[in-house]
Amino acid sequence: MSLEKMLATYEFEQWLYAEAKFLDDIDFDSWFSLLHPAISYQMPVRVNKEGMERPDYSLDMFAFDDDIELLKIRVDRLKTDYAWAEIPPSRTRRSVNNVRLLEYVPNDKAVVNSYLTLYRSRSTDIHHDLISGERHDEFTFADGEWKLSKRRFIVDQTTLNTRNLAIFV
Amino acid sequence: MIKTNINLEDMSQKEAIEYLSESVQPEIGAIPAYLLGDPMVYDIEHKKVFLKTWLFIGHESEIPNKNDFITRDVAGYSVIVSRGADGEIRALYNMCTHRGMKLCRADAGNKSSFTCPYHGFNFKNNGDCVGVPLQKDIYGEEFDKSGLGLHKVRIESYKGLMFGTWNDEAESLEDFLGDFKWYIDIFAGRAEMEVIGAPQRFVIHSNWKIGADNFVGDSYHTMVTHGSIVKLGMVPSATYSKKGYQIHTSKGHGLNLGTPNPDFAFPEELKEEYKSNLTNEQYDVLANLKNMIGNIFPNLSFLISHTKVKGQLISNTSVRLWRPVGADKMEVITWLLVEKNASDDWKRRSRESFVLTFSPSGIFEQDDTEVFTDITAAASGTMPLVKQLTYNYTMGLHRTPVEDFIGPGVVFDDKFTEANQRNFYRYWLDLMTT
Repeated sequence: MSLEKMLATYEFEQWLYAEAKFLDDIDFDSWFSLLHPAISYQMPVRVNKEGMERPDYSLDMFAFDDDIELLKIRVDRLKTDYAWAEIPPSRTRRSVNNVRLLEYVPNDKAVVNSYLTLYRSRSTDIHHDLISGERHDEFTFADGEWKLSKRRFIVDQTTLNTRNLAIFV
Repeated sequence: MIKTNINLEDMSQKEAIEYLSESVQPEIGAIPAYLLGDPMVYDIEHKKVFLKTWLFIGHESEIPNKNDFITRDVAGYSVIVSRGADGEIRALYNMCTHRGMKLCRADAGNKSSFTCPYHGFNFKNNGDCVGVPLQKDIYGEEFDKSGLGLHKVRIESYKGLMFGTWNDEAESLEDFLGDFKWYIDIFAGRAEMEVIGAPQRFVIHSNWKIGADNFVGDSYHTMVTHGSIVKLGMVPSATYSKKGYQIHTSKGHGLNLGTPNPDFAFPEELKEEYKSNLTNEQYDVLANLKNMIGNIFPNLSFLISHTKVKGQLISNTSVRLWRPVGADKMEVITWLLVEKNASDDWKRRSRESFVLTFSPSGIFEQDDTEVFTDITAAASGTMPLVKQLTYNYTMGLHRTPVEDFIGPGVVFDDKFTEANQRNFYRYWLDLMTT
């Protein structure tokens, strides 16, 4: 691996850790500022297929299928007094690992895959939800910063074991 | 007289059923909390409701081609629903008749036959057993496979909606739906409809009846639970949800009809198709429809929702199954339906609004599931039974139905009443105590 690619991998690891921290800290405005205006934010529905038939996710149904405007609606909604699903907010812990830099053009674009394990605890409930999956992220360099311009989250469950996705993945 | 020191666990099933008929009083709006958490009630429900009535399986458009199949759950049992080479739809119990192994583990696919992973018995998608490995050698020349066909499940469709039942004595699906078909026509039969993509699935720690209750008649909650939507300007006002009609028919079915609507909620270019599929009266309802929220007994809810997304009005039509997986747990399965002849842009925007509002990430959906979970937790265990905690379902008991509505059923002229919930629990109780 070239030194340049090592440094870039480190940079994107730090980017993803910072993102996880914003989300876990319920700092949605800071999180939102990491997004590129042309973002596509998708989470396809995972399905059970026969044998090794792929892809094993739906190409036309999603748990998230958002652009920047819809993500803004979600962030704004979470700030109203009526977003019961997150009152009080879930305690979440996002662990991001297996970060792999697949494509990298300095000061232009990058493709990064990573694994996400998301622990979620609600209220006094002693049960917890675990959401895990793989992120396929694309970054665009804009105004001197890397912005997330595409995320496709491939979740590991066909039936989600969480009461809702009032949280981001 | 209501007994004291009640404990369903110490009662026989017969005594528990007697206690149900004493303590559940839909006509006076008294529904006890223990119905939502007690394991004995759940067991009786499985036998008396879910093994007796018609249950939703899926939409015919999910298996459009010959040999397409889906696997679905009917009252806790996996069923293969397959379109045969002859075009006919059949439902087969997903269990090998030789030793009981589950035959098919995929959600959907295209196959003309299924091979058991245990000993390799092979079954055509009409259920016939067509292959037994080493048959002549180990079973002899005279072996007759004809008795080994897969168990058939009764299946019937109405307007593309497929229902199955384990009850061979059940009335026909159309008789079960009765007058409610008039309204089903509007959401499922107004045009040629198709399901987009795979259904969404998620699990909630909630009793299934809370979902059915919410959709069958509870428009009252939208003011508060969904207050955030008003704040975002997606619907006009907090009392938006009051205007319209609440309607129920026999067998516990019911809906809330939001009307009038100054805008046409559906693709304009399909007006002729709608008119050809609906009566004039039904088309009149469609043309003024703002939203439609209802439940086909026991656990299939449906929804037409018309909201403003990114400054543009758009509607989405969905059905959702509240599939019980325990007294305090259900799997929610949702399907998006669109007009097959709508434009690609309309379909895309309809899906976008569905995902934004009523998928697991949906900004309506997620606040409901939070409420459902907490209600279930508060209703669980022995205390709600011993202390005889009872919910108040008296809203609108003083009102009389209107006589001049153009559709069938018992109709109230705004949506804020609990007549539909009382009707739901009445039929539920009738089945439970039969």
